[in-house]
Amino acid sequence: MTALMRYHAALLLRSQRWLPPFLLYAAFLAIGIQAGQPVLDSLGYTAAALLPVAAWLARICVTGEPDAARGCVAAVAGPARAHVACLLVALAGAAALGTLATLVVTLLSDPVASDHRTRVPLAAAGGAGLLAALACALFGTAVGALTSRPLLRSPGRAVLALLLAALLSLVVTGSPAQAAVQGLVTGSQRGTVPLPLLPLGAAALVTAGALALAGALAARRSP
Amino acid sequence: MRPDLCLRDAGRRYGLRGPWVLRGIDLTVAPGRLVRVEGANGSGKSTLLRLLAGIDAPSEGRITGRPRTAYVPERFPPALPFTAAGYLTHLGTVHGLTRKGAARAAGEWLERLGAAAYAETPMARLSKGSSQKVAVAQALLAEPELLVLDEAWTGLDTAARAELERAVAERTAAGGSVVFVDHDPRRLAGLPDATYAVRDAGVVLQEPARAPSASGPQVLVEAQGPPDGLLPEDVRRTVSSAEETGPGTYRLSVPAPHSDVLLRTLLAARPPWHVVSVAPQETGPGRQG
Repeated sequence: MTALMRYHAALLLRSQRWLPPFLLYAAFLAIGIQAGQPVLDSLGYTAAALLPVAAWLARICVTGEPDAARGCVAAVAGPARAHVACLLVALAGAAALGTLATLVVTLLSDPVASDHRTRVPLAAAGGAGLLAALACALFGTAVGALTSRPLLRSPGRAVLALLLAALLSLVVTGSPAQAAVQGLVTGSQRGTVPLPLLPLGAAALVTAGALALAGALAARRSP
Repeated sequence: MRPDLCLRDAGRRYGLRGPWVLRGIDLTVAPGRLVRVEGANGSGKSTLLRLLAGIDAPSEGRITGRPRTAYVPERFPPALPFTAAGYLTHLGTVHGLTRKGAARAAGEWLERLGAAAYAETPMARLSKGSSQKVAVAQALLAEPELLVLDEAWTGLDTAARAELERAVAERTAAGGSVVFVDHDPRRLAGLPDATYAVRDAGVVLQEPARAPSASGPQVLVEAQGPPDGLLPEDVRRTVSSAEETGPGTYRLSVPAPHSDVLLRTLLAARPPWHVVSVAPQETGPGRQG
């Protein structure tokens, strides 16, 4: 599995297809976040914006390998393992991006609640923001995995489904990503730092299921 | 001993209600066997090979006894952001080799296939033939137990084609199985243990049309063993004919791709045999029956 992931990571890095989602994320943050804003609000925005980026990254990883090369790897390692490895690489990329962004945003923001008067502890806020970002990275990867090959193979429909699913998972009550982001926002209004462990756990479960499903279908629905 | 790879009543179709490309396939590939698959264009040969290679799962029926597998596709994409050696090293580690072992095997196979000069060339700049050599190398570098070749010879130059035939002989001699499709009927002629034709979504076992000695270029080897020496069993299996010319001296005729395997077996036998001479056999126009 390590060798497979190293191969897919090298494929992603060298193809430079990771650049557009990373730039989009940087642009999102540059527009939405300014130094000196309440930390939990900014972290909520940071986590929410990561979800579509993670989904896009998953799509890039899944579609980046030419069919014939995928066949060679699938024969050696099994199609399910090859597919899951490439989704895990996407997840690792999104998690790393989210961690970096959370760190920078925490340092730039003011340790205050929405009313700009109540103090909130900066380190705890950063920790909560990190957990929320990870929940969004996980859920975004699940969205990307479920809206691309092998489940949806027509690119037009797949991209539309990806955008719709990413939007819905940020606004529909009950989605772990929405819960994680909402937790940060209400925490900022009340002046308390939430601990979004439940959304993170739920997102991890959903993602594990999505990866298992995509992996199981990889051999059945190709090409 | 690893188990046979078995397809049991296997079928494959694309989509939930698509037409069956293959159906009711019963096929066994035992270790050490060379299997040829024939069929018209679009008959489902490639689908059968993808099932055998484990890339696709059967839509019905099952496959048991999956060995360590490698696959060579017909057209290999140069659109990978690696150098040839870099790609092969990655694939070698996926096969389970160490990084160092993978890099060494990559170098060896590029050398054997005559592509060593392109080891550091980005794959996007490789010619079609050179990228096919990379595709062949990735399948051979970890000595797989099952090698699946989907028209792997297409696009290779003459030297690399002969090298791939020898590599196939090496794999089967080492107990690996090889399944191949090739549009050239003379490819490894006379050597397959079984030939299957894909037709009307099923496979039919073809009768062996001709004696092995009658087809394909042969090499004559004269070898001397102990005075009362009998030919080792491995040698008997490799050669297409053996003639005792004196006490312990044999004139052996062997299919050209197997000549290296035969010499290695003779020299490694206990006690070792002496190789007196090796020569390509003259194939006149009269030697076709």
